Parts: sequence; C-alpha cells; structure tokens
Amino acid sequence: MVSRTLLRKTRRDLMSRKGSLLALLAIVTIGVGSYLGMSAVHRDLDGARHRYYTEYRLADFQVDLKRAPEFEIERVKNLPNVSEVRGRVSMAVLLDLPDLAEPISGTAISMPETRTPVLNDLHLSSGSWFTGRERREVILNDSFAKANGIQPGDRIKALLFDKQHDLLVVGTAISPEFVYLIPPSGGLAPDPARFGVLYLPEEFLQESCDQEGAFNQLIGTTHDRSDKAIDSTLDDIESRLDLYGVANTARINETASVKFLADDLEGLRVSARVIPALFLGVAALIMNVLIGRMITQQRSTIGTLKAIGYGNLAITIHYLGYGVFIGALGGILGIAFGTWIHSAMLGLYRTFYTVPDIRPHVFPDLWFLGMAITLVFAMFGTVRGIRYAARLEPAEAMHPPPPERGNRILLERIPIFWNPISFRWKMILRAVFRNPFRSAVTILACVISTGLILMTLSNVDALDYVMDYQFAKISHEDLTVGLRDPVGMEASQELKLLGGVSEVERQLSVSCDLRNGPYEKRMGILGLVSNNRLITPLDSENNPIPIPEKGLVLSERVAEILHVKVGDTLNVRALIGSREEVTAPVVALVKTYLSLAAYARIDYLNRLIGEDSSANVLLVKLHPGKRSGTLYKELKQRPSVIAIGERARAFSQIDATFGKNMGVMIAITVFFSGIIAFGSILNTALVSLSEREREVGTLRVLGYTPYQVLQIFSGESFLLNSIGIVFGFGAGVGLVHLIATQYSTELFRFPAVIHFFRVIETGSIMVLIIGFAQILVFLLIKKLRWLEALQVKE
Amino acid sequence: MIERAEVLLSVQSASKIYKMGEIDVPALRDASIDIRDGEFLIIVGPSGSGKSTLLNLIGGMDRPSDGSLSFLGEDLAHYSDRKLTLYRKEQIGFVFQFYNLIPTLTALENVQVAIEIAQDPMDPMEAIRLVGLEDRADHFPAQLSGGEQQRVSIARAIASNPRLLLCDEPTGALDIETSKQVLGLLKRLNRELKKTVVLITHNSAIAGIGDRIAYIRDGRFASIDENTEPTPVEEVEW
Repeated sequence: MVSRTLLRKTRRDLMSRKGSLLALLAIVTIGVGSYLGMSAVHRDLDGARHRYYTEYRLADFQVDLKRAPEFEIERVKNLPNVSEVRGRVSMAVLLDLPDLAEPISGTAISMPETRTPVLNDLHLSSGSWFTGRERREVILNDSFAKANGIQPGDRIKALLFDKQHDLLVVGTAISPEFVYLIPPSGGLAPDPARFGVLYLPEEFLQESCDQEGAFNQLIGTTHDRSDKAIDSTLDDIESRLDLYGVANTARINETASVKFLADDLEGLRVSARVIPALFLGVAALIMNVLIGRMITQQRSTIGTLKAIGYGNLAITIHYLGYGVFIGALGGILGIAFGTWIHSAMLGLYRTFYTVPDIRPHVFPDLWFLGMAITLVFAMFGTVRGIRYAARLEPAEAMHPPPPERGNRILLERIPIFWNPISFRWKMILRAVFRNPFRSAVTILACVISTGLILMTLSNVDALDYVMDYQFAKISHEDLTVGLRDPVGMEASQELKLLGGVSEVERQLSVSCDLRNGPYEKRMGILGLVSNNRLITPLDSENNPIPIPEKGLVLSERVAEILHVKVGDTLNVRALIGSREEVTAPVVALVKTYLSLAAYARIDYLNRLIGEDSSANVLLVKLHPGKRSGTLYKELKQRPSVIAIGERARAFSQIDATFGKNMGVMIAITVFFSGIIAFGSILNTALVSLSEREREVGTLRVLGYTPYQVLQIFSGESFLLNSIGIVFGFGAGVGLVHLIATQYSTELFRFPAVIHFFRVIETGSIMVLIIGFAQILVFLLIKKLRWLEALQVKE
Repeated sequence: MIERAEVLLSVQSASKIYKMGEIDVPALRDASIDIRDGEFLIIVGPSGSGKSTLLNLIGGMDRPSDGSLSFLGEDLAHYSDRKLTLYRKEQIGFVFQFYNLIPTLTALENVQVAIEIAQDPMDPMEAIRLVGLEDRADHFPAQLSGGEQQRVSIARAIASNPRLLLCDEPTGALDIETSKQVLGLLKRLNRELKKTVVLITHNSAIAGIGDRIAYIRDGRFASIDENTEPTPVEEVEW
C-alpha cells in the first residue's frame, strides 16, 4: 500500500524545506517534551510522596489540646472510624545556638524511647535513634542540622517550657509531616536555618513540659479516609476530649506541608496538559500552512500520480506520511527533551521538598502516549493539504494552476483608506487577506506567545506586589515575639525598657471557630490595640481599616469561605478560656494575599475569652539602625517567649526561595513562548517566500535590492504580528486575571498585577523575536536564486 | 559598415559556462556584439542557442565567465551585486515572455512597482496611457488578456525611463494579432521615445522588423545583418 518510491519522495520533499521543518520541530519538541517531562515529574513526585506517606505512616488527622491524660487515647481508638491513634507532646521551644545572637524558634515533638513503628514516623538521615545512655538526647530535623552545621555528637541548648537544657544530638531525621516546613510564625517559605524540629524522648519531654502521663497532640488514622468521614470523626473526637481544651482539629491534608505539596502537584498536573496542548495545537496549525503549501505546489505531481492510477487513498496515505514523519521525529526529539526536563525539574523539586527517593523513573507508557499524541497532532497538521489533494481532478491538476484571482479585498472598498497607501502596502494587505487561514495562524501563534510572556513576567510582579503588600504596607514591626500564655500589660512595659526597642504593640491571637450556618472555619483571630501602628490591615483600595470596638474585620477570602458580607453576623467560639459561643458582626473586609486573617479589637477578644487586657504576641519596633544583640540575649532568658519572628528575615527567605526558582522558570517560559512566535513567523515567511519566488525574481530584475524586497515580506510579518501582539496583550491580561481568580489557596493568593512597563517589555521581546526572524528571511532572500525562479517552467 | 550612432553596450568575446554538477555546459562562447543607442535589434536563435544567457548578461542579471561587457564604457563584467542591481534599476527595462506581473497588484500598481524605486520615473498613468490601457488600469492581471498583460509589462519596463528595453520572447505566448499589437507598440516606443530595444526571439518571421538582425547559434553569433528597410509590423505573418 505504501509505495517505497513515494516514501523517498516524502523524505526529499521534507528535506528540501529544512528551515520550516526545524522551526516546526522545535515547537513540536517543546510540546511533547514538556508533556512527557512534566507528566513524568508528576508521577515521580506523586509516587515518592505516596511511598513516603505510606511507609512512614502519615496520620490522617491531628488534634491539638491543652493536656489530656494518656488513657484517653484508648477511648479515642474505640470511636467509630478511628483506626489508630497516637498521643504525643508537641511544644514550642527556643534554641540558643552559640554562633547566633538571636534565639531560634522550634517545635519539640515526643517520640518513643526505643524505635518502634509509630504514626508520623521518622526517616533517619544520619546518626541513630535515642541510645538511652543519656536522658537528654535529641534527633534534629535534617535540614535544620545541615543549615547550622550541627552533627550527631554535638550539643545544643534548648529552652523547654521554663528550663534550659543541654541536649545531645544523636541523629538527624526527616518526617512525612514536614516535607515543606514553614515556620508556624507564618510566611510562605521554609527557613531551615531559623526553624528547627526537635524529636525528644517521650518521657523526658512530658516531664519538661508539665505533661507527665499526658499528651497535648493526638494524631491518628481512619478507616474511611474521605474528607467528610475524617471531619465527622474529628467532631466525635472533639466532643469526646472537649474538657481537655481542644485548641485545634485538622485533617492532615489541610496542614501547610501536605497541602502545599498537593497544591503544587495539582498545578503541575494542569500545566502538563495545558502547555503541551498549546504548543502542539500551534504546531498542527503551522503544519497545515506548510504542508498545505507543499501540496499546492505539487499539484501537477498529484495530477500525474492520479493519472497513472494512484487512488485518493494512496495519495492520502502518501501525504499523511508527512505528518507521520514529522510526528515521529518530533516525538523522538520530544522524548529526549522530556527526559532532560524530567531530571532537571526533579532536581529542583528535590531541593524544594524533603521527600526521600525522588528519583526519575522511565515510563515507557508515557513515551508511547506522547508519541501517539504527537502523531495524532501531526496528522491533523496535514488535513487541509490532503483535502486539497483528494479533491483535485487529474486532468485539471496536470495543467498549471489558474492564475491567482484578482478580486478586491474588502478594504479596497474604502477609497479614503486605500487610495493613498503605497503599492507595497497594497501587496501586503492583499496577501494577508487572501490567505486568511495562514494569516489567522500567524496571529494566533503570536497571541499565544505574547500572552504567555506577559503572564510570566507579570507573575514576578504579582509576587513582588504580595511581598510589598504583606511586609511593607501591612506589617511595620521589626520583630514578632510570641508568648506561651496571654500576659498582662506589664510584659510590654518590660520589653519596652530593653535595649534598642522604640515601640511595642500588644496583640492577642486566639484560635476560634467561626460559623455562619453550615459554613465553618477554625482560625486565629488577631486582637489589635485601638491605635494600631505596627500592623495596619488594608481594604481592597489599600486604605487602612480601623478596627472597630465591636465586631470582626475579616479578609475577603475568609468572608468567601464563610459566605458572609459586611453587616452579617457570625457565631464565634474561642478555643481557650470560657469557650462560649457568642455572635459577632462582620464590620469590614480587608485584603490579604498570604494566609487568612481575621481581626478584632484586643479588648473585644479579651472579653470573648474572659480575660482582661492580656496579650500573647508583642510586636517590636527597634530604633533605626539598631540590631540589638542585648535584646536577643534578654529574650532568650525569658521562658514565656516561645517564638521570635523577624520581618526582614521572612521577607528575604520568601524572596530567596521563590525569587531564585522564578528567575529560571521565567527564562525558560519566555524562551519557549518565544519559540512559538519565532517558529510561526519563520514558517509563514518561508511559505510565502516559496510561493512568491517569481515575484521576488521580478522585483530583483526591476532593480529592487534584497533589502527592499524584504520590506515587502517583513511588512506582512510585522502587520500580522502587531495585531497578534495587541491581542496577545489582551490575552496576557486575561491570563493574569484568570490565575488571580483560579489560583487562590488559603495559603496564597495571586493578585492581578499588570505593569505598563511589562507590557512594553513583552512587546519589545516580541519585536526582537520578529526582527530576528526577519534577519533570517533577509538572508534567504539574498540567497534566493531568483534568476532560476524567473526561468519559465511552464 | 557605417557607424550610425554611438555604442550603448558592447559585448566583446563574452563566454558563459554553467557548471551542472561535474560537467561544464558552455552557454555562450566568444560572442561579440555592439548595441547601438536607439536601434531596434533583433536576436534570433533556436532554443538552447544561448540567447537567454546573452540577455541575462546584457540585463545585468549575470556576469560573463570570460570576455568583456561594457555599458557606455563602464565595465559591467566586474560589477558587484549592488552595482548590478543599480544598473538594472536605472538603465534597463525588461519585458518577459510570461509578463511576470505581480498577481496581487493591479495594472497601475504593477507599474508603480518600478516607479517607486526609480530616479527619474514617468507618471505611472502616463506609462499606462502609452500602452493604451487607461481603461484597464485598475484591473488585476487575472482580469486581463495575455496581450493586455504584456502591455502592462511594457508599461512597467518604460516607466522608470530606462535607455534599454530588453524583450525576451515578448510575443511567445500570444496569438498573431495580439503579437502584432505588442510589436507595433515596441516599435513606436523605439521611434517616439528613442528607447533602444533588444528583442530576443526564436521566431525568424519577426526578424524583419528590426534595424539589425543578429543570428545566434551554439552560443556564437552566426551573422549580424543590417536591415535598412524594416518590414512594417502589419505585414509580418507566420
């Protein structure tokens, strides 16, 4: 069925169009490669995550409480749907590292004395489990140890509850519950050097924290692991343990680390579909232009083939072969490229997530699928040409094609516009309107390319905007000092007297259940003083919102979750103190991009928990230029201090984590997007050049220089692409807004930020790409053997 | 032989060898001719005789492998691509067998193509009028007959005010009546605008209308004859 001679023809036909072929293959390769690469990364990362979670038995839920006796564990275990539970102690600690002035926050978690498999088990990275030789042994989370150069055998000082302990480091480990360890003080990025997790022998930690024979955190697994089932189990547990002061309950998939990775994987899954589809779609369209042109040029060949007895099927198969050839070649290159993307991206993810065994695997089924998808797209790329070939009548086809029709285009009906323009522009405009398909493909490719570039560049601005908003516009403090329990006014007075402090602002953070009918959210409400200066919540117009005496101010996202608007009433129940449910009006809404926020006046919140002017967070502003070592020294000695956060540090940490990766991602995305435009422009130019060789010849004979000829060709390119760029700006703005509405998690929301200079920048990049393509076209025009093109072939 | 006019273009012992793969194909061997200013020269030869090659050399589209080529004393044989382009633009008007009009431009606009880059051009409408197509000026090539298309091509050739009109089988694709119109037009332009015309043809029936007739065969001039009494175009028959 497939003629070998015709196969040879296919090969030669394609080889004679190397330029177009390469441009096309680049787009196909990126399309297939990104599909294979991202899909494989998704599989490997998802697989590694599952293996890790399963092997080290990540719990399904977590309950924080004040203090519950150990016998309650058995009772909880007997609740319906509960499969396994473990009680443990989890406590905030301050670490004192010899080389650092500032105290370092951490979390201490109890582990069994001797190694037995437990929920949220540890994977030892170095050293050993507790040896039992010393009571005060500690296993550190590996990244913290590495970041601070601590090794098994070293000792560290930790302030546990009210006493400083000298701990012997016996090992370092990683845990499935902290694959992405964000300090509880907030932020978005891990800070391995400044936040540590300490795993301590159970009994020792219980004794040091006033938890003998008790636990303050319950983790467990369930039989039915659906969100709904776990939620109802958590409700049961909460009512069972209510009298022990339940402070928080959560499904594990709501916790920061698990959720961050899951969201990332979901984003990857979507990207692995959308981006390749865009590239392959454009490639298929460009191919239609290229193959369509090739087949038109082979009109008489087709006529001859038909005349000597080749049927439509044979001809169709022959031209489908072009698609198969390009598809197969693109598929192979794509597999190679995808393999590279796969290992490069996994490398990046390995530095991002603490998951063991993130290793690239070979997925032959993905290769097969990628190849199949490419072939299908490539065959779609031949559809237009084949339809033309099939319709040709042999007798008619063997004659030269009828002269190009000389109909007027629509614009010519507007003489005011048409008459004054030069013949060049008339040529350009007619060429554009007489090849509507080709023109549309060129514009579309440019729209996609421009849109992607503008979106990518705007993502940088969105992150900058969020950082500036959260860390400069809303927050103004230098340090945040977290206290173990609410304290009275005297604490802030005391702090104010310490060296370097210029201002102290009291805050009260209380975990509450907010409820509006069926909508519920457990989160912290932050109580602010009436003349709040160090934190100034802003509304969506960036105006500071004063916190009213009564009622709540919610961030827009919280209002969304709870389905409330200003003027509605919420049921609020604090999880400490009297724990009574009261109603509170929603007085105003504010805008935040990082995590969730709810504000109230500090007195209002105090009344809610039955306290009087207490605070558990102190915001500190230092005198300008002061980096007070003495302040840190003082803070280290105060057992009531459980956390110290530095605004500048959180800022730079996010910047370092995301800024670095973003730079690489941006460069890659811009480059790939540019390939779409470049490939499309080059291809269009090559096709119209091959179509109009004779025109080029005629112009050259008339004395046109190659540059003057180029002006006619590039005029078409610049015209179409200018339209593409303008619509591309629109597409970019649309994409930015789409992301802003679609990419909205409790942890992070994307603002829609479009800076005018980004539009200019994007436009300039596009003009550069178009210009670069014109240089190639110019070289081709110069090289074109126009004299031969003029030799009569009829 | 009396020198009636100054020599516009002189070809001396020109040869041109094309390399086809590993074989040398001589297209022109040692050909010499002086083209006089204002004459109507007809070069007759069968296909493959080298006449198109000669036209390419005269037209500044190619350079000889050997021999000399000069236009008003200027050596064309060693011109750069740039200078050849300039030469074509300023001195030469081409008329092709298949017209080579740009299909997406109207008759008038096709003429403008030449005018746009010319130094001292005619008014495009004037050129159109000279070939008698003022009523068809805004028609596209596909809407014109072969003869009309060839007249547009002639209008384009003269519009930039060249000294030399090079016509490559200008009637090759036309019927006899239309051919006569085109030839008549060329004669008129030669007479009235004093354009030098070099017309290449394989059709010896046309030869009689020229002031001189050069016969080319196997890349050489077999003879160059003065024709003191050219045949009127109307009387040409084939």
